[in-house]
Parts: sequence; C-alpha cells; structure tokens
Amino acid sequence: MPKILIDDRMVEAAEGLTLLRAAENAGIPIPHFCYHTAFPPEGSCRMCLVEIEGLPKLELACSTMVKEGLKVQTMSAKVVEARKGVLEFLLAEHPLDCPICDKAGECKLQDYFEEYGLFRSQFKEAKEKREKKFKLSRNLILDRERCILCTRCVRFLNEITKTEDAGILNRGIHSEVGIYESELIDNNYSGNLAQICPVGAITDSDFRFKTRVWFLESNESICPLCSRGCNIAIDSHPGHPRALRTRRVYRVRARPNPDVNSHWICDYGRYGYAYLDEAREDRLVWKKGGLETRLIWDKAAQILTEKVRSLVHLRKNSRIGVVLHSNLTNEELFLADRLFRKGLGVEKLFLADPPPGKGDGFLLTSDRTANRRGLLEVGLPVQALDAKALSDLDLLFIFGHYLADGTSAADLKYALEKVETKALFASHKSGLDGLVDFVIPVPVIAEKNGTLTNVDGRVQPFVAGLDFNGDGLPEWRALLDLAKELKVEPKYFWPLASPEGVYQALRKEIPFFK
Amino acid sequence: MIRALGDFLEIIKGGLITVRHFNTNMWFHTLKVLGFKTKRKGAVTIQYPEEKKALAARHRSLHRLMRREDGKPRCVSCLLCVTVCPSECISVEAAEDPDSEIQKVPAEFIIDMSRCCFCGFCVEACPEDAIRMDTGKIELAEYQRRDLVLDLDKLLK
Repeated sequence: MPKILIDDRMVEAAEGLTLLRAAENAGIPIPHFCYHTAFPPEGSCRMCLVEIEGLPKLELACSTMVKEGLKVQTMSAKVVEARKGVLEFLLAEHPLDCPICDKAGECKLQDYFEEYGLFRSQFKEAKEKREKKFKLSRNLILDRERCILCTRCVRFLNEITKTEDAGILNRGIHSEVGIYESELIDNNYSGNLAQICPVGAITDSDFRFKTRVWFLESNESICPLCSRGCNIAIDSHPGHPRALRTRRVYRVRARPNPDVNSHWICDYGRYGYAYLDEAREDRLVWKKGGLETRLIWDKAAQILTEKVRSLVHLRKNSRIGVVLHSNLTNEELFLADRLFRKGLGVEKLFLADPPPGKGDGFLLTSDRTANRRGLLEVGLPVQALDAKALSDLDLLFIFGHYLADGTSAADLKYALEKVETKALFASHKSGLDGLVDFVIPVPVIAEKNGTLTNVDGRVQPFVAGLDFNGDGLPEWRALLDLAKELKVEPKYFWPLASPEGVYQALRKEIPFFK
Repeated sequence: MIRALGDFLEIIKGGLITVRHFNTNMWFHTLKVLGFKTKRKGAVTIQYPEEKKALAARHRSLHRLMRREDGKPRCVSCLLCVTVCPSECISVEAAEDPDSEIQKVPAEFIIDMSRCCFCGFCVEACPEDAIRMDTGKIELAEYQRRDLVLDLDKLLK
C-alpha cells in the first residue's frame, strides 16, 4: 500500500484510490462539488484543488491517484486562494436567493463560502437571468440560475438508472442542464437527483417550501416498504408551540450503505411516507355488546390471558389461532413462535400480507413486506390464510390489518363472527376494526426498535426515529407481557425485557442469526 | 424590640430620601422661575394616559409587515424570523407565488404577542426588510388571549 503525506500526516492508502478518497478516509475533508463516491471522477468543478510537491500547478484531488511518496498540501495558502477563486467564479452567476432556497442549510456552496470565501463580489455585471422553475420530472424542479454545472444529475441518469434522460446543452455561459423537449424524466429513482444536487438547483416539489432544513430532526431508519431494506434517514419536524404540526415527516432521504442500497432509494420509498400519519389506530378499545370501552393494555392483557388459560385448561389449544404478517421484526416473529407454537402448542398460524407490487430490477422488489426473509429464517410454519379455517376457532390473535386486503369482506365477516374472541394488533385503521373485540394500536417500523432481515439475508438493526402516539404498545412488548402473564416458560421469558435481549436469545437458538 | 427600632429607622431614612428629592426639585424649579439655571431640568410628572412621552427613534413596538410597491407582502417566508425568535412566537407557512422572481410568499404569518418579548431579533434577521417594529403602538393589552394573536391581515395593516 502506498504511503503518502497529506498535510504532514503519514497516510496509508489502498492502491487505486484517489487522493480525495484517501484524505477523506484519513479524516481530512477536501471540498468538492462534482465528485460523488458513486461515480468516476469528473473534475468539472475545480474545487478539490490541492498542492502536490514537485508539480508546478495545483492538481485535482478527485482524479489524482495515490502514488508512493506523494506530498500533498490541502490547506496551503495557494490552495485556499485557488478555492476562493473557484467560489468567486461560481458565485458570479449563482443567485443569492438562499432565503427562499430549500437547500439552504445543507448547501455545499453555502458551507464552502463560509469556510473559504467570505469575500465581496468584484463583479460589476448583472447576473444572467435564467429559468427559475423548469419542470424536470413529476417531482423535480430545476432552477437554472442556481445550477453550477457539476453534472452529478447527468451522470446519475447515465450511470445508475442508465436512462440517459438529461445532458448539458449549449456551450460556455449558455451551458445548461436540459432534457428531451417532449419528455420529463420518468423513472423510479428520480428523487435521488434532488438529494445529490450539491446546490439548490434541483429541488423536490414534495418538500418545496414546506419548511427549512435546520428545523428538521434526522433519524436513521430502515425503509419498510419493500423487502430490500434500504437504509434511510427520516427527517421529521419536532413541532412549534404556535403552529399545529400538520405532519411529522417532511422527507425521507437515502442513507449510504454500499452493501444494500449504495447511495440511493427508490421514489416509492422516498415519497411513500404518508402511511406514517394517515389513518393510524390510536385508541385501545374493547368492544362488548355494541359498547366500546377504552382500556389500558394491562387490563386487556388480563382478559386475553384469562381466555387463553381457560382454553388451555380445557385442552382446546387447537382452537387458538394467530394471524401474523411479514412486517413484524425478527424479534417479534421469534417471540410469536416461542409463545404460541412452542409455549401454547398453537398449530394454526396464518400469514396475511400486503399484496405484492411490481419490482423494478434495481432496488425495489416485488415483495412489499419488510421482513419475509426473517419470517422464513425464524422458521414459523405459517399457512396461507383461509377464511374457512378461521371459523372453527375460539380465540384469534390478529397481527396487522392486512387480513382485510386478501379476503372478501363478506367471507371474513362470516368467519370472524363465529370466533368468540378476536384481538387485533394493528397500526392502521381498516375494515377489520368493526369485526374484532379488541383493537390494540401498535407502532410502525419507524416507531419501534428491532432488526429486520432483508431479501439478501442481511440482518439490519434499527431504532425508533419517531414517537409513537397511541394507547398501544409494540408487538414485542405485548407478546412478552402475554407470555409473562400466562407464565409460559417463566425462566425463559422473565429475563427478556427489550428487543436487544430478545435478539440475543434469538441468536442462541437460530444459527442463521449468528 | 431592637428589630422594631431598626425598621422604624428605615422608614425615617426613606422619608428623608423623599424629602431630599422634593427639596432638590423645588430648589431647581424655583431657580428656573426666577430666571437662574434655565438649562437644568427639575423632575416633571407626566400625566400618562392623557399625556404621552415621545418614543425614541430606535424604540421597538408592535410589529408590522411591509408591502412591496405593488401591494404584495415583502415577506418571502424564509422563516429566518421563526428561526431566530427566542420566544417561539412567530409561525409562518409558505406558499408558491406564480411570479418566478418572488417564488415564495407567506400563506400564513402569525405573531403571538402574548409570547413576544420585543427583542427585535426578527427585524434584524429579516433579509427583505419585511418586518418592522416601528408602529409606535406600545399599549397592547387585550381582554382575551386570542386577540393577542396577530395574523397576516392584521400585520399588514
């Protein structure tokens, strides 16, 4: 491995790495606009200039390969002066409309000006007027005045989506990002363009003018909308005392993970966050004889355990049924397996999942559940749902509201009417609410802790990024409470108190999770 | 006993201060009437609600929003006032303006005067000179809290 000297620090870098990457790995940031880890170097912004000993001119850090014995200065007076010059040329055309720019606060140009520039413009000429609102795609708006022609968007469309929708048109001062005259950019990954744009040239109409980025609280999470398990950051607004928060989540961004989603997420995952706030179940209710009573979970758990106990006592274990879904975490599936199948001897485990969609061959898979692989690996012997099989039960635990999707409403109603007690653990309102005895609100993936197994068998932990506002509780806690209340294998269940604890137990038992 | 004596002493002391002020003011007022020391001012009581003191040029009073030449609000709802406000009394919601030069306009601009601490940071932060605190209205008491919540229409008046 070649050894190089960056800012008088000896850095060992892998062969074939560029200076910029090597410096970044060593914790020395080099400013850049056009360079992006996912693409080969372009070298159009000239921001990453560094001084290399023995070379007469400044070199581009983004495209110079490391070589044994290079001596690099990233912050010498000459380099800073050059960066200042680059910034001055960029700002000769870039409008200063930061107050109305959605990128302000996370804009590279703004940050670097703060760091290296802070000069007064020497240009006497007026800035060129260009189109401020050019529609690029269904969700994207291009502001040509703000564009610094880094070509990140063009390279993304050429190299990642391979649709080649955009290019740099014209020459010199007339250069601009353009698309085919008759068509908009139309692919499932266009939302990434707004994210990779280093300035505010491409903005997302979904996020446009909604709030400013510095108000947002960013939390890491896993996208639960398909089985890929892309790493995302959920940007939510903590609220303002004067204004009622109209929604919690303002945008979803991709979080780089080279093993799963690289730097991208699909538009389905990016814009499909409405489910977080829409039609959420928030009241824990018990319906008895046409009356709805609000309960606390402890009371509901007591009633349910009483029911289970009486059935077990009468050796009617086979009349207990459980409906599961593949959006549960590994821990929850494992607990369900442990409690219902191994602990209570329940044989009727059903699966009700959201219907599959269409995959696109890149990130989005056709399976629209987050943890089907986890379900397989935990080894739950689930059956496909059959309305007839439901009807000869006395007690039914239903997890998820997906049951209403797969079966016809009349069949379901007929089958469920015969079941004596039905408890529904659901995050969203659905047609099932009216058919069951207990409705217990549960959080969605973004609101709880646990692990998910993605389609390639990668187990990814996640923590709650949003608060869960409802009467209910996460499924893992409900399952643990039920197990403790029922005194099923007390020695096994008592020490478990958190998803991490459950995961440790799960790792001991199932070799896949080691 | 000693303590009571001490308290009594304090009362006397306080009385003496009043007497001192009265004497000084009386002395200067008398001199002024007699034509000496015309520049030295004695203390004057202003009969407040009927009679008002002129406000300083840099005073901070009730906010107002400025208009452009064509009557549209100057505000571009950049939310910098919301960001800088220490008492979190301003809330702004943005909307899209068809004019591509302006782009961003306030759909809603609310200042909760019951929270406002009159620091004037919003005026300093505003990049468009859209908000000012120079109306001279300093008597802002209301009978109901909701009357202290000012919206866009009231602020633009």
